[in-house]
Amino acid sequence: MIKFRVLVPALAAALAAGTALAQGASAGDPTKGSQKVQMCQGCHGIEGWRTAFPEVYRVPKIAGQHQAYLVKALQAYKSGERTHPSMRAIAASLADNDMADVAAYYGQPGLKAAVK
Amino acid sequence: MTLNSRILIGLAVAAAFGAGGARAADVAAGQAKAKEVCAACHGIDGNSPSPDFPKLAGQHGDYLAKALRDYKAGTRKNAIMAGFAGALSAKDIDNLAAYYSAQPSVLAAKY
Repeated sequence: MIKFRVLVPALAAALAAGTALAQGASAGDPTKGSQKVQMCQGCHGIEGWRTAFPEVYRVPKIAGQHQAYLVKALQAYKSGERTHPSMRAIAASLADNDMADVAAYYGQPGLKAAVK
Repeated sequence: MTLNSRILIGLAVAAAFGAGGARAADVAAGQAKAKEVCAACHGIDGNSPSPDFPKLAGQHGDYLAKALRDYKAGTRKNAIMAGFAGALSAKDIDNLAAYYSAQPSVLAAKY
């Protein structure tokens, strides 16, 4: 019985830690993300900014977008599934946890401020 | 007014209307198409409730149109979107981009 008393909380703690880890990996940390978005801001932080190559169009607004979609987009650029040259280079420099943090930062509700 | 200048003015007016007509997207037609094709995943107003599907409302129209053209051409690869975009005409794409970019948005450029 003593063994159970020790074992059960230990198991519970291990499970909780495992769950927290899994959530951390998928959810990302917006505060950490805010330190990793310098390379995003030059285009996505400027209202109406246009790409110059290989085609001219306004870069998408990403603040307020779903986090899961932002992660998928970055993964698709990294894998080459999406082909924009600048985004491929930037996404290739990001690890999975970087993508999660950046997505958590941009996916926060209520971000509106922009440089005009 | 000489005959020549009348002809010139007439041509200028026709050119202006022609250019406008060719480029102007039809937002109402875009909404109808959106209801038919896009709304089940992206929402009728483009604020998709599911995290798997991007919000389109208020996104830049030229970006939305480019995304659809790339899906249609196969240069942007997604099994679901390839099917939907493949069935759209160039006019449908312009109309849809005009409709979704005009919807109230939570998206923004953020510094």
